Amino acid sequence: MAGYLIRRLLAGVLTLLVASFLLFLLVAVSGNPLATLMANPHVSPATIAAARQQLGLDQPLLVRYWHWLANMLQGDFGTSTTGQPVGPELASRLLVTLQMVVPTVIISAIIAVVIGVVSAVKQYSISDHVLTGLAYLFYSAPVFVIAILLKDFLATNVNQAVGHTVLYTIGQNTPGTTGAWNIFTNTLGHTILPVITLTLATYAAWSRYQRASMLDVLNADYVRFARAKGLSPRRVLYVHALRNALIPVVTVVALDFATILGGAILTEIAFGWTGMGSFLLTGLTGPVSPDTAVVQAWLMVVATAVIVFNILADVLYAVLDPRIRLA
Amino acid sequence: MNRKRIIGGLTLTAAGVLALAACSSGGSSSSPSSSTSASAVKSGGTMTFALDQDMAGFNINNANDTEFVLQEVMNQVAPQVYVTQPDLKQVLDTDYVTSAKVTSSSPQTVVYQINPKAVWSDGTPISADDFIYFWQANSGDLKYKDVGGKAFEPASTAGYNQIKTVTGSNGGKTVTVVFSKPFGDWQSLFGDLMPAHIAKKVGFNDGFQTFNPAVKVSGGPFEISAYTQGQSVVETPNPKWWGAKPKLSKLVFRIFADDNQIPPAIQNNEVNAANPAQASLQFKDAVAAIPNTTTNIIPGLEFQHMDFNQANFYLAQVGVRQAIAYGTNRQEIVSRIVGPVTSSVKPLENRIYMPTQSQYQDTSGGFGDFNPNKAKSLLTAAGMTMGSDGYFHPKSGPLAGKDLSFTISTTSGEPVRQEIEQLFQADMKSVGIKINIQNYSPNTLFGTVGPKSEFDIIEFAWVSTPFASGNQPIYCSYTNAGVCGENWDHYANPQVDSLFNQALTTIDPTQAASLYNQADAILWKDMVTLPLFQQPQLYTYGTEWANVIPNPSNAGLTWNANEWGQKAS
Repeated sequence: MAGYLIRRLLAGVLTLLVASFLLFLLVAVSGNPLATLMANPHVSPATIAAARQQLGLDQPLLVRYWHWLANMLQGDFGTSTTGQPVGPELASRLLVTLQMVVPTVIISAIIAVVIGVVSAVKQYSISDHVLTGLAYLFYSAPVFVIAILLKDFLATNVNQAVGHTVLYTIGQNTPGTTGAWNIFTNTLGHTILPVITLTLATYAAWSRYQRASMLDVLNADYVRFARAKGLSPRRVLYVHALRNALIPVVTVVALDFATILGGAILTEIAFGWTGMGSFLLTGLTGPVSPDTAVVQAWLMVVATAVIVFNILADVLYAVLDPRIRLA
Repeated sequence: MNRKRIIGGLTLTAAGVLALAACSSGGSSSSPSSSTSASAVKSGGTMTFALDQDMAGFNINNANDTEFVLQEVMNQVAPQVYVTQPDLKQVLDTDYVTSAKVTSSSPQTVVYQINPKAVWSDGTPISADDFIYFWQANSGDLKYKDVGGKAFEPASTAGYNQIKTVTGSNGGKTVTVVFSKPFGDWQSLFGDLMPAHIAKKVGFNDGFQTFNPAVKVSGGPFEISAYTQGQSVVETPNPKWWGAKPKLSKLVFRIFADDNQIPPAIQNNEVNAANPAQASLQFKDAVAAIPNTTTNIIPGLEFQHMDFNQANFYLAQVGVRQAIAYGTNRQEIVSRIVGPVTSSVKPLENRIYMPTQSQYQDTSGGFGDFNPNKAKSLLTAAGMTMGSDGYFHPKSGPLAGKDLSFTISTTSGEPVRQEIEQLFQADMKSVGIKINIQNYSPNTLFGTVGPKSEFDIIEFAWVSTPFASGNQPIYCSYTNAGVCGENWDHYANPQVDSLFNQALTTIDPTQAASLYNQADAILWKDMVTLPLFQQPQLYTYGTEWANVIPNPSNAGLTWNANEWGQKAS
């Protein structure tokens, strides 16, 4: 197991290095940070030249990559075109998004597994049809529609029933809140609706994977054999079937975690959160677009998350399936 | 969502009366909101006010930061000698200045007595040094330098450039201002004072651009205690405040990227008051349906308009600008944009005065009329030929042989403004001009694109004070950012300069208004900007809150936030 883990970690580091070069290259060639300035007839060549020098664009690509990589390894993600260092802003945005994404992933995974198993075990039953219909409904409903409905109906009714605001519709907290308990409850109140929104969109897809995977396993020979051996249905289901049926879902969850981390932008906008999604949006629509330092830092965080969670998925495979760790 | 603001506009009735009265008494004097009787309120509590955009910086006197949202934030932080009331009258704020008297008319001399209790929140007394620094920074005189030897970049030099000297006496508590030329709008001066001892160290231009210790120094009832970019500003009572203590324990400004998020936030008691830049029908209906909420719609000292950048080869030609104006169906824009909200608004025919001001006249001379045929004939006269694709083709310039095209910009994420752009685009297509739309975030539009004149046509709003003198930096002949910092269009006309200068040195308000209107008539003829309509202002706030009084000037709703509080039962 240790050797397997070391191999995966080394491969991960190498992949990350390649990813860093590719994403740096992609950002460098796909967008010209000076394009907006150059397209504007009112901007003088001297201003453009100064901006080119300030952004380091007058240096060869490989030199720029090396400087960027070396600085990043020391925690310096560069400076935004607004003059602010990217690192602290990135850390702050990441924390905000994690406040939304971590509970979403945990809750979605639990709901998806439960619903997937129920749907598979009771295939074509009324409950399966209802759960399938709901999953398709939430999967196809735009996130902002769910957000608006939750704000206008759930939050308003709950708050009115309680007599004060417990479900908040805007921001990741109430500015100026003091006291540990108040901050905790306030943050919780702000997190509930975005998490419900994101969970509804997320669990729906995952539950379909879980259902399909579970159906495959339930029809497998070894499960039939286990039943034939006289094992209890509960033992067959949880020990023999579910454990194997989790493997494909673990892959999806691991990969989606990174995607949600960077891509919860609609939910962030709908609830006025300033997380990773709006950070990227700012980097792409700022005064000098793209804001190279911001976009590269964002991509690097997402790439790192993808690789880390892939490794985590590999480790979970090994835990779930002994054949993998013995390979 | 957003708007730009200006220190401009003058109400003849109010200013005239005040200017005359000032010769003996210095105008009304009292606490800023004394013209209304404050209701009894409970102490404590947090009131949250919705801002519809983030700030570009924290120096309201800086050309790059002078936005309405910042004024709303700074109303309770920066000392203002005179405060504009909801009826547009000027009232001396005796918390800062116990008296302001015109002691001589030749040369015009004003003597201010600073309240001896007045101190900045860091304990430094508010003194003549603050007045002297403020004058120098806003004078446009290049002999005065900011930190690092840079020229100051003030939002407006109006009035300050007519001051000869500002001197202190009586231990810095008496300030004597002597004018080189008479200045009728002298009550507009020394608004939003800055702590000179801080600004001299950190810099006028750059020292207040980010939230830092310099920004926290307050001279008002509240101080800014926290700021989170794109999220919020938190103000708490200034412990060194010497006047009547504010009732609220916190005044929170919550920043919204989308106006549509404000009504649910009000409904869920996360926001208690709002004054969005664009009052759409959807917004109006949404807040009107919220129980226990008061909503008022009143015409503001604010107008939507289009600016034409004369650095553009084609827009430098007055015939092209006039053609665009003739091709724009302003009545259609008004009907579609504000008609559903209020039926009283018409196309605006004056850019100095609003229809709700007595000095308002139709100075347009017909240049704002909708006449597509005249637009086409003007473009033909400008040496352009109609192409087979329905667009005019210039014979010379960077677009020679190509479609005559311009880019219009406004703040992104604002459906109402985008609809104005789309209507304009359709109008222009029918007269043979191609319009591209390129919008920016408010900070980019007002912090970079506008001030650096990196646009062809730009649509936004000016929010005014009642003082027309503040319009000078927009229309005076552009020389550099320190003198006509708001002249983003790089317009220049000595005749307009002359009329503005005459108006600025005219004490008689009737005569001054006549001169401003004459200047505006030339601005119409030159088609510097195309006024669209006076912006109706929508104010909404919870009925449990007392003393929330809409103010249609650039002071905004927070002008008396020091008196806000929950109603005493």
